[in-house]
Amino acid sequence: MIKINKVKQNLNAWSVLSFIFIMLIILPNLNILGGIFSPANENWQHIKTFLLQDYIFKTLKLVVFTGLFTIILGTSLSWLISAFDFPLRNFFKWSLVFSLAIPPYIAAYTYNGLLNYTGIIQTFLRGTLHLQINQKYFDIMSEKGAIFIFTMFLFPYVYTITQAFLEKQSAALIENARILGRSPLEIFFYIIIPISRAAIVGGTSLVILEVLNDYGVVKYFGITTFSTAIFQTWFAFGDINSAIRLSAVLLLIVFVILFLEKILRGRKRFSFTTTKSRPITRQKLVGIKGMVAFSYCLTIFSLGFLIPTLQLLYWSLLTYQKILNGKFLSLLVNTVFVSLLAAGLIVIIAVVIANYCRISSGLAAKIYSKVTTLGYSIPGAVIAIAVIVFFINLDHRLYWFYKFLNPETGKLILSSSLVMLIFAYVIRFLAIGFNSIESGFEKNGVSFFEASRTLGMNITETFWKVDLPMIRPAVISGFLLVFVDILKELPLTLILRPFNFDTLATKAFEYANDEMIHEASIASLFIIAVSIIAIYFFYKTGDKEAE
Amino acid sequence: MFVKIKGLNFRYKNAQEETINDFHLRINKGEIVSILGQSGSGKSTVLRLLAGLEIPSSGVIIIDNLVIVDDNNFVLPEKRGVGMVFQDYALFPHMTVEENIMFGLKKIDRKAKKIRVEEVLALVNLKEFSKRYPYELSGGQQQRVALARALAPQPFLLLLDEPFSNLDKDLQLKIREELKGILKATGITAIFVTHDQEDAKALADRIVILEDGKILREGKPQEILE
Repeated sequence: MIKINKVKQNLNAWSVLSFIFIMLIILPNLNILGGIFSPANENWQHIKTFLLQDYIFKTLKLVVFTGLFTIILGTSLSWLISAFDFPLRNFFKWSLVFSLAIPPYIAAYTYNGLLNYTGIIQTFLRGTLHLQINQKYFDIMSEKGAIFIFTMFLFPYVYTITQAFLEKQSAALIENARILGRSPLEIFFYIIIPISRAAIVGGTSLVILEVLNDYGVVKYFGITTFSTAIFQTWFAFGDINSAIRLSAVLLLIVFVILFLEKILRGRKRFSFTTTKSRPITRQKLVGIKGMVAFSYCLTIFSLGFLIPTLQLLYWSLLTYQKILNGKFLSLLVNTVFVSLLAAGLIVIIAVVIANYCRISSGLAAKIYSKVTTLGYSIPGAVIAIAVIVFFINLDHRLYWFYKFLNPETGKLILSSSLVMLIFAYVIRFLAIGFNSIESGFEKNGVSFFEASRTLGMNITETFWKVDLPMIRPAVISGFLLVFVDILKELPLTLILRPFNFDTLATKAFEYANDEMIHEASIASLFIIAVSIIAIYFFYKTGDKEAE
Repeated sequence: MFVKIKGLNFRYKNAQEETINDFHLRINKGEIVSILGQSGSGKSTVLRLLAGLEIPSSGVIIIDNLVIVDDNNFVLPEKRGVGMVFQDYALFPHMTVEENIMFGLKKIDRKAKKIRVEEVLALVNLKEFSKRYPYELSGGQQQRVALARALAPQPFLLLLDEPFSNLDKDLQLKIREELKGILKATGITAIFVTHDQEDAKALADRIVILEDGKILREGKPQEILE
């Protein structure tokens, strides 16, 4: 028998562990927000007066236009694929998602290599057609170019979510509208857009968060956004105080966006709760209409996947003899090792927190699950600054201990080790593992857990014997998703890796930055291949489950 | 009195009114009591409070002279010795029938476990099904496994939540008779929750009618249902 208060507060190993994990996630970020209240230095006055407006303006420009264009591409494609039949429709349905396999920073230098003076397109125009065209038409390293890259390689976020929604939920509405004599275009504007608002907003906010998170594209193109400004302030001017302030401003922008998302989504979930939904019967597009739909999809697929991939393949043929050696192998080992380690850690932490949140119905559990998912919204630059400051602080506090172990020790131990990078990965990608595992728990419901309790097993015994075996598929898929995401992660790895530690992503980016785009191709292709396998795996299994 | 429930109150989070309002009940050893009520009357909540799956805001539950819950103390569900048959059976899908039943047999050696599994499977007439997985069984068979699993650890008190709601009508009549036989054969004290008067009449020694979390009437089946 135990005290009823203890039961009511849910005090057990799960809640204590969850509390510790959550605190470790919150503390570094609180530090950043706290930075607003510390006194500003001269440098900050300068940034505030001359630069801040520009950062905000440029960042918002990228966000707004990318958002707009991904909405246009994403919804139009999802509507085409859901409601119509045309040549190769089944192929496009999931190959359009492949754009997501190419991280924007890889796309950025691939397109630059494709379009610059020595690139294949200009060489062809000059050499074969004898055309001299003004260079400005080929300059992708601009804000417009960045918007193009973000749009082409992030639109699948809007496309997949909206398409899945339309396919499952909209059949009755679209068919009714057809019977009532509406044209496809009218249906698109009066039915499709309004009913899929929540899906579109959800997808677009993911796109926007990715744009804010990006460091590779804007750095490579030389655009000053918040991400690049934060790092420049610290590394070029050595002004950590102002870097923290900039991070805080960016964090506030993220909060505003999340708030807007909530408002725009509204309470309208637009999903049928009672009637069984059935898949939509697709309308056949023949003749010219079919060809237009086909060409549209083909263009997007080519720009967003085929052309850059072919270009990378070609470059890899030029360079593989030089690149594929022992060094590349150690690069591969590094990448896989750090990704496996971090993904494993993330899944363990996610399982602990998800299990606690499921068992406890209290306020703490609600906050924990919010905090866990918030990490994914925090841009890499902010997490990087937060984690560095946190670890340098930690190193200062632990110095006496290092000294006790080794009198000859240097001051920075943790902050020059892999621990810091992995810690940052956990903050950023915990949400992905958590969502997967949480939905696994939700799918199983609570009655197995309760049955086990009435049969004499406590929470922990129940977890090992009942919960874990039952959520295993969710754990595995969460692990894979996180693994792939870490494999291609750039900003955090670039900033937080220990000296001389390279992954495929950082090496590829370094090559590209050193004007060695061809050499970057093999590492890039490897990242793309792993991502495609993951995408294939998830969309195919997702499709089967839906059927 | 074997089971004593006094002044039990409970309210779900976000609920406007008490889900259970001053509930009291006394049950003799070996008695089968039915809680009869519409959906939303709070009848399943009473079972969840008895099993320890919910914490009452106030009230006392005593089973076999042991205080299970009062205003200061709480016995966790795994320590209560209260068995429960869930409405959806909740048979663990990754375990065979045998493993499901063995699950609740903790502190005895493997041989004794095997013997106990055979005993309860014989009781519910499913001896040859011990190696099957739950999805390889019919609805009626699943229900009997759930019953066997709940009975195996020899609980002081057995709770059954809408035991017939997932069965079709023909099967329901047959299983109802069987269930009565099994419960009487083990001499167990049981509470079962139902919305069906016929079920209550056929099975129960005593009926409690619940409405909006309050006891409306209580008595022998023939007194209560004409």
